[in-house]
Amino acid sequence: MTTAVQSSPRTFGRGDAVLGLAARGSALCILGMLAALALVLLAAALPSIRTFGVGFLLSTDWRPNEIVGAGLDAAGNEVEVVSPPSFGGLAVIYGTVVSSALALVVAVPLSLGAALFLVRVAPRLRLAGVLSFLVEFLAAIPSIAFGIWGLFVLAPFLQHVVEPGLKSLLGDVPGLGWLFTGTLNIAGEVVTRPIPLTGRDMLCGGLILAIMVLPIITAVSRDVLRAVPRMQIEGTLALGATWWQSCAAMLRYGRAGLFGAIMLGLARAAGETMAVTMVIGNNNQIEPSPFAPAQTMSSLLANEFAEASDGLHRAALLEVALILLVMSLAINILARSLIVGGGPRAAAAH
Amino acid sequence: MSALPARTIGAMEVRAPHPPVPTAPAQGPAGPSVLDAIRQGHAHTAAVHESLRSEQAVIEAREFSLWYGKRRALYAISMIVARGKVTALIGPSGCGKSTLLRSINRLNDLVEGVRIEGSIVLHGVPVYAPGVDVIGLRKRTGMVFQKPNPFPMSIRENVIYALRINGERRRAVLDEACENSLRAVALWDEVKDRLRHSALGMSGGQQQRLCIARAIVAEPEVLLLDEPCSALDPVATLRIEELIRELSQRYTILIVTHNMQQAARVSDYTAFMYLGRLVEYGSTADVYQNPRLRETEQYVTGRFG
Repeated sequence: MTTAVQSSPRTFGRGDAVLGLAARGSALCILGMLAALALVLLAAALPSIRTFGVGFLLSTDWRPNEIVGAGLDAAGNEVEVVSPPSFGGLAVIYGTVVSSALALVVAVPLSLGAALFLVRVAPRLRLAGVLSFLVEFLAAIPSIAFGIWGLFVLAPFLQHVVEPGLKSLLGDVPGLGWLFTGTLNIAGEVVTRPIPLTGRDMLCGGLILAIMVLPIITAVSRDVLRAVPRMQIEGTLALGATWWQSCAAMLRYGRAGLFGAIMLGLARAAGETMAVTMVIGNNNQIEPSPFAPAQTMSSLLANEFAEASDGLHRAALLEVALILLVMSLAINILARSLIVGGGPRAAAAH
Repeated sequence: MSALPARTIGAMEVRAPHPPVPTAPAQGPAGPSVLDAIRQGHAHTAAVHESLRSEQAVIEAREFSLWYGKRRALYAISMIVARGKVTALIGPSGCGKSTLLRSINRLNDLVEGVRIEGSIVLHGVPVYAPGVDVIGLRKRTGMVFQKPNPFPMSIRENVIYALRINGERRRAVLDEACENSLRAVALWDEVKDRLRHSALGMSGGQQQRLCIARAIVAEPEVLLLDEPCSALDPVATLRIEELIRELSQRYTILIVTHNMQQAARVSDYTAFMYLGRLVEYGSTADVYQNPRLRETEQYVTGRFG
């Protein structure tokens, strides 16, 4: 409190100032791009937001074309009734949420198991380097490659082997009929019929997503588990914990970071486009069965954006994109805060 | 992950600055020092005092050697740990005292490339015999580490962890064990109203006492303390030392410390180790006041190390 500290990094010449400005500028530039993206999407989606309001989030209607049907006017005369195009995002939001959830259900146990293996077993077998590389390599495979594999290998396998098998096994079990029957909306009439098993359905989309999020969840979980202090593991072992019990203790210690890893995987699953579009069946309708074709937000955009000529249609698609952006951003922020937030808490404990 | 390799470096550093100690000319005849001989790789027959003959061994190391990869950390250690007594392992960094401690409950198994020779017997069970139940072995020894390592759970769950992993579910049993353990470490009155709170919110000294409570909850036969006060302030250290004296009435305690005063205060027997070899071993009073070797005297009086 007596003397002020003299030196300041700013007094060290012009080079520092230039570099400082450049660094700040780059950082701001990235923020600016995100903001511009959000603003442009918002502006472009405005017509749809104005027309449908909150209802957009609650409606499963997605009709780019107007429907002309027969009806009666006030006087009882038969007239043509024109229903204007109508858009609602609920079906694709449902598709995204369910396919991502399915992906996590499959990927999380596999990823955590693989991460535990990488941290606790592989180093002893001198495999850690090779396996870590392979996991990271899996993350670098372009999504179109996954899509093609899904379309030509996974979907036919599901169609011809897995799904008929499940149907013959579970089809007659009371209470599970919904798995194999769907509803079809034909010109306003709802028809119930058995779901044609095509292999290109919610299940296939979920499985493809699971494969695609596996590497990121594994890699981040591996880093989280590797950061568990040795003292913690030894502490449990010294008390007589078995190998599994000490692994459980590791998972518990890293739970915030692991949850963050899962959220990162979820963010990728929710935004993934190409592979999902190829295998999910692209049916903009909510069906409870995983064997029915579905649609996600990103697959809807990929499918329809090029053909959207009508202004409102385009605005509705952009509103879907905006929702997707906000969702991904929220999930990512949550994930990062959990992974980074795990640090100080863990440090405080030691 | 690097605790052990770091200690390796420590050992290397110890070698250079300690030529034969010139500050103690009055201590016996000049001549080749035992420590010099050890530094040059010569074997040394430990000076083990007669007083240990009358003791009953709970742990016995027989010609026990250990290697981390190519580096040898322990050289044919033969010693007993006396039942119901506190035995201190002292010696400069890198002398192998922690390694020896961690060999007893086989925690060194986790380190890659560890190899041993000779044997350690705990209560008549050779701990390195093939087919020995390592988990069961560890359940019969409690261990406390250099830094408090509470698990990220409630105080209660920390204390009863050893019972939980044994599958104990009866609430009454768990509650009673929790209270008894916390009373034994004089923590009960401080935390009885916040047993469900996270253990991470306690002070360092409280955390270390919690770790001791956790180590004794399953009634082990032996307590292994690996520099339990090295991360604590003097007041907390004093409390742990009092606690060690109290616990010594019920447990056999083996404590590693680099604080010579601490060893003098808490232990009945003291073993002085140097570069992986046992140098001198006897009752604490003898080792400190009437050691056989000049080098031991110099070490315990703080003239090197």
